[in-house]
Amino acid sequence: MDLGVLRRDGRTDPFFDGAAAGRLVVRRCDACDRWLAPDAGDCPGCGGSDPAWAEASGEATLVTWTVLHGRPAGDGTVPPPVCLALVELAEGPWLHTRLVGADLAALREGLPLRAVFEHPAEGESYVLFQPAAP
Amino acid sequence: MTGPTSGAAIAGLGMTELGKVYGRSPRRLAAEAVRRAVADAGLALGDLDGLLVSHGMSGSPGIELAGTLGLRDLRLLTQMNAFGATAGAMVAYAAMSVISGAASTVACVFADAPLRPKQPAGSAYHRDAREWYGYGGMTAALGFRSVNAFYALAARRHMARYGTTSEQLGAIAVATRQWAARNPLAQMREPITLADHQNSRWVAEPLHLLDCCLVSNGAIAVVVTGADRTRDLAQPPVHLWGWGQGHPGHGRERGSEFGLTTGAAVSGPIAMKMAGVGVGDIDMCQLYDCYTYTVLVSLEDYGFCAKGEGGPFVESGALGPGGALPTNTGGGQLSAYYMWGMTPLSEAVIQARGHGGDRQAPRNDVILVSGNGGVLDHHSTLIVSPHAKGA
Repeated sequence: MDLGVLRRDGRTDPFFDGAAAGRLVVRRCDACDRWLAPDAGDCPGCGGSDPAWAEASGEATLVTWTVLHGRPAGDGTVPPPVCLALVELAEGPWLHTRLVGADLAALREGLPLRAVFEHPAEGESYVLFQPAAP
Repeated sequence: MTGPTSGAAIAGLGMTELGKVYGRSPRRLAAEAVRRAVADAGLALGDLDGLLVSHGMSGSPGIELAGTLGLRDLRLLTQMNAFGATAGAMVAYAAMSVISGAASTVACVFADAPLRPKQPAGSAYHRDAREWYGYGGMTAALGFRSVNAFYALAARRHMARYGTTSEQLGAIAVATRQWAARNPLAQMREPITLADHQNSRWVAEPLHLLDCCLVSNGAIAVVVTGADRTRDLAQPPVHLWGWGQGHPGHGRERGSEFGLTTGAAVSGPIAMKMAGVGVGDIDMCQLYDCYTYTVLVSLEDYGFCAKGEGGPFVESGALGPGGALPTNTGGGQLSAYYMWGMTPLSEAVIQARGHGGDRQAPRNDVILVSGNGGVLDHHSTLIVSPHAKGA
């Protein structure tokens, strides 16, 4: 699946600043001591708007996953499948992401994962997850 | 004709041609469905004093539909949207309006025209772009570009937690197609086997192509009026015994029940209590089946089996012709037509009237109808019957 080019949107720029530096930056409500996804709006705990940005550990576990298959092209060729996942950060929030470097047959709930960062030639850096080293 | 009344019923059902119906806007399709529903009831357009409008992916018919139909002096007119739960929500609102006396005869319509000539059926539900913006754009770029992936995450979570299998999901696809084979309105009537299901291409594992619903153009409308009024009308009334909604608001964080439970666990008991029935009284189900998995998890949440036992339940043959709980007797969204919540509702009306022909289920006294929207985020339930409530 061709990723395309990632651009900033002015609302989640600290996430991309972090990714460029190899750091997973998400949101955090200091009043509630509650970590939130990078695209969270108000804190669901206290309703506070504009929660802070904070660096997460990058450690996560697998919640659930799917191997997504592309639509066959007119000539019968099929794009390579990708493994998409819902992961739970050690701090609590869930992120929708792509898994790399995983043995698909060994995937299970709770599998330890860690964030890895990609720095394409064009566009913003981004985050993927891979199984944590045993 | 207005004034409070003791109960409400569906008096008319109107369906346009469904499927690859090109060249007509949602508003034109909706207008035809409303005209057909009114004629089906033995009413005239001028008898309507309420209109509720809903839409799918291709733009709303809008409340301007009233003008298109030439309706005047309406007492109720609005657009509603709870995604796939809207049909049930519209009928409930219409019923409450009729019972309270706010309106007397209300049409509820859904229209959509996402299919375009020479475009893949799924394209209306798929995003693609060369550039993506912000964190949400990154998620889409990584592969979350259609709803298929999100439902696949839900189904996989159930499998990992409870041992549900792809073959069990396939049992739903096969049973639903058995019903569709008996429905002249169904788009897919060729019988399928479990092997066909297993051999159909992967869309998003664990979902095969035959786990996924169709995409259809068209419109469906129903007319809701006072139960006491239906005696003089053209069709047997379909009485509205109960309704409910459930919107669990699963969070995206530790402890979330995403994928494992739905709003049916809330809307089902509300609707059944209102109807004065229990789960054992339900003769048949018309369930929202955007994916086979949606049926399985809804059956669990309604209490037809315990949580986690949906797989063995559907594998038992309960859902198909001759089964203990005939479900999606018209072929559902998987095999008949995809008109969001109007698919299960339209088949419930046909079955309650006893107009199911070759697919008429043996008992139709109490029928459960579900709606499901978002990614198992929004749920509606109706309990309908050919009999007046409490009769």
